[in-house]
Amino acid sequence: MKFMKHGLSRIVPNIVVGVWLTMGLLIVQPVLAEEKAPASAEPESASESNAVSAPLVKGGLPADDPTAAVWNSAPQAKFPMSPQVHWPNRILDATVKDLSVRALHDGTNVAILLEYADPTEDADDAAAIEFMVGDKKAHFAHGQPMLQVEGGPVNIWFWRNKDAKGVDMNAMGFGTLKTQEHQDVKAKGAYSNGTWKVVFTRPLETGHLEEDTQIPMGGFINIAFAVWDGKKDVSGAVKEKGSQKAVSSWWNFRAEAPPNYTGYYYAAIAVGLALGFQFVLIRNLKKGNRA
Amino acid sequence: MKGALVTPVIVTVVVYLFCKFIVPIIPGSAPLPSSVIILYMMLTISGIGIFYTLSKESKDAFWGPIERFLTGDGLGGMQALRYGVLILFPLLVGWQTYNSTAVSDQPPGENRTIHPAPPGEYAGLSNPVAKTPDAIQQGKGFYAAYCSPCHGGNFDGKGPAARGFNPPPANFADPTTIAMLQESYLFWRIKKGGVGLPIEGMPWKSAMPRWEVELPDEWIWKIIMGEYDGAHQSPRTWE
Repeated sequence: MKFMKHGLSRIVPNIVVGVWLTMGLLIVQPVLAEEKAPASAEPESASESNAVSAPLVKGGLPADDPTAAVWNSAPQAKFPMSPQVHWPNRILDATVKDLSVRALHDGTNVAILLEYADPTEDADDAAAIEFMVGDKKAHFAHGQPMLQVEGGPVNIWFWRNKDAKGVDMNAMGFGTLKTQEHQDVKAKGAYSNGTWKVVFTRPLETGHLEEDTQIPMGGFINIAFAVWDGKKDVSGAVKEKGSQKAVSSWWNFRAEAPPNYTGYYYAAIAVGLALGFQFVLIRNLKKGNRA
Repeated sequence: MKGALVTPVIVTVVVYLFCKFIVPIIPGSAPLPSSVIILYMMLTISGIGIFYTLSKESKDAFWGPIERFLTGDGLGGMQALRYGVLILFPLLVGWQTYNSTAVSDQPPGENRTIHPAPPGEYAGLSNPVAKTPDAIQQGKGFYAAYCSPCHGGNFDGKGPAARGFNPPPANFADPTTIAMLQESYLFWRIKKGGVGLPIEGMPWKSAMPRWEVELPDEWIWKIIMGEYDGAHQSPRTWE
């Protein structure tokens, strides 16, 4: 028994140091977590966003209904818009200054709703969503070629009021816009009280890896937007068309993954281990004391 | 006997507070990264462990109270605290585990280099246009026509077309932009625009036009003069 106590007195200090180290780490780790917070671009004001989150919904997506009530269950992201100045023909003032975006997905298809103020409904009013394709980065302005970086194409989903449909396109720079052979995008617009609501729908995955953006559940992808005010001036010319439009920068988009409970399992296992450690420690201590 | 436990706790807390709050206010110092603080705390705790296990007396004095607390022998009124610790510790471990596996809501961070190195052929170029009041005035005129929609009539990066762009157009009045760059650097950035940036500058995000396709070099050099003059800055030189 004396031996037992002697052995314990050797082990115990090591255990104490171990527990102290653990406690120290536990205290300091939250500080570390704060520092690890991503340094992604902060929106200038609280009302602006840097990502669109598409929650997973059960049942049908409101693909044909930009005004469906279920849209209210999707968080609203707001992005500022600028006139397209990067490339001629540029425009220095575009009608649309702000864009609201909501999105939903059902595990198979994704639906993205754009909402913006436009004082007049015109046949040439149009809106588009842009994505990068594959792993290569693409310039937000139509996938303009970059000089020091090999860029990839952009995938553009286009809707125009008078066409009343979605068009699936690709570009690698201004003047290279091409309509795809396989059309996977549907779109529908609704105008009311000075506001356009346009919903785009497409399968999350299409199998056309070279042309279409693929939307993995749970992963962030890049997204950008464009809007054209198709109003005609006195001479009959359309105010915004082609490269003359309102544009956004690249932002982030994520189709949310189904709920994942593994974090709770790991936490339960950790609690069990900690309890077991305490139990064994105290039992051994009591044994030692009786000695 | 209790003093043996109180001392190491006080030492630990004091070292932590010293690292966290005292070190940053020492002149010429800076806040310690938490990884460094963790390192110091580990050294401190190891030191305490070694110190108290040097002799049997100090070991008993150090370990005795902990042992009595854990086993609950003769704790009396402290029993509730003991149960509290025994319940709280596993919960804390569980909470930390959950937090470390939780999926972040934040998009991946991006570290964009704002002023990446220019290609070699631009280093050391000097402005070939003589700095006359006329040239500066002309440059300001070109600036108003081509640059001010984004970079602003006040050279502050707040032009009417700027709001949608991320990264935002440079603010030339800010001392960390053109004031710390040479004229040759501006020449490169204006000529090649956003698409001319190297990968660390994330060219795919920049709206800056590639002005070489629209403006002659001489205009660009005059715009640079107008920009420095208008923003009340001087180009960086090699002293």
